[in-house]
Amino acid sequence: MKVTVHIWDWPLRLFHWLLVAAVVAAYTTGKLGGEFTDWHGRIGALILGLLIFRILWGFVGTTHARFASFFPTFGRLIAYLKGDWHGVGHNPIGALSVIALLTVLATLVVTGLFANDDIAFEGPLFSLVDKSLSDKLSGLHALALDVLMVLLALHLAAIAFHRLVKKNNLVIPMLTGKKQVPKALASSIPSVGLLRFLGAAVISSTLAWGIWNGGAADYFIPVSSLQTAALKLGW
Amino acid sequence: MKIKLPLTLALTVVATAAFSGQVEEQIRFRQSAYSYLSWNTGKIKSQVVDHPETFNKDQIVAAANAIAAVANSGLINLYGTGTDQGIGWKQSRLRPEFFQKQDEAKELDATFIKEANELAKVAATGDAAAIKTQFGKVGASCKSCHDLIRIRE
Repeated sequence: MKVTVHIWDWPLRLFHWLLVAAVVAAYTTGKLGGEFTDWHGRIGALILGLLIFRILWGFVGTTHARFASFFPTFGRLIAYLKGDWHGVGHNPIGALSVIALLTVLATLVVTGLFANDDIAFEGPLFSLVDKSLSDKLSGLHALALDVLMVLLALHLAAIAFHRLVKKNNLVIPMLTGKKQVPKALASSIPSVGLLRFLGAAVISSTLAWGIWNGGAADYFIPVSSLQTAALKLGW
Repeated sequence: MKIKLPLTLALTVVATAAFSGQVEEQIRFRQSAYSYLSWNTGKIKSQVVDHPETFNKDQIVAAANAIAAVANSGLINLYGTGTDQGIGWKQSRLRPEFFQKQDEAKELDATFIKEANELAKVAATGDAAAIKTQFGKVGASCKSCHDLIRIRE
């Protein structure tokens, strides 16, 4: 006996599909270079805002959006592998994928802020670091892209595996928010608190906008100490 | 008679060295060339893209002509054997695979020259929008070569 319940709230779904579009656009503009490089930077700023929003939403969003509800602890992972995990949000392996994707995307965005391409692009926070450190961070940016490609391949492979082998469609719930679950697990998420959403949206877009405009540079005192640390490490 | 062959060889080596320079010298020259290019691309980026209110046609024309001149100077001759290993102003970032990809690199160099010549032409018209588009094409040609033969930091 299965019933249909809401599992993904609309801000989470909006975040997911905006992120998909932004990552595709960032990849394309990054590969094309030339005139598109400035667009690559702007899309990076959009992704920065989306990531900040997702982190905030991980604390104030609805049930399955919260990190605490799905964080892949050792115990949860073991239980899942033994077949003892019963839930309707991110399963523990999926949760690992979420954390890994967010971490790599954050690495791409942060390194991109300080990057340069030795042609005609400098990230908005380029002036806070030495050219040599910027070059290293640009290299790290390229390396992180390789890691992202592997993670995205795994992400898509996992979706295909759930669809074909486990007969479990993951894409439709990410579009509609609704999923058929066993009656024993049936509990819908609460409706989205509009103030929470607005708060998270305003904070994330303000921060991303400020950083993108280099306006946050004045508050980034720790960057210079990071740089000293990096130099000491022989970077 | 016996001395002729070694002498010819020695003279060839000296002549080649005089033409393209020693390894370190080639690396230093090409690093200088790219560094000088970046001064000029930086000016165009600033005046055409980032701060269009500072657009100064004379400076843009000068920068575009300088880029075209460097592009046409035969940079590819500064990529002699062994120049993937060596320190010019700093360690070279040329990938050792360059020497298997020379044909491709030559094609990219030809594209760079073509786009740089076009930029000089477009700059002379003073049409900021057209300069911006053509500048993008020059940048894309720079990037295609970076992607092919340059080591990531």
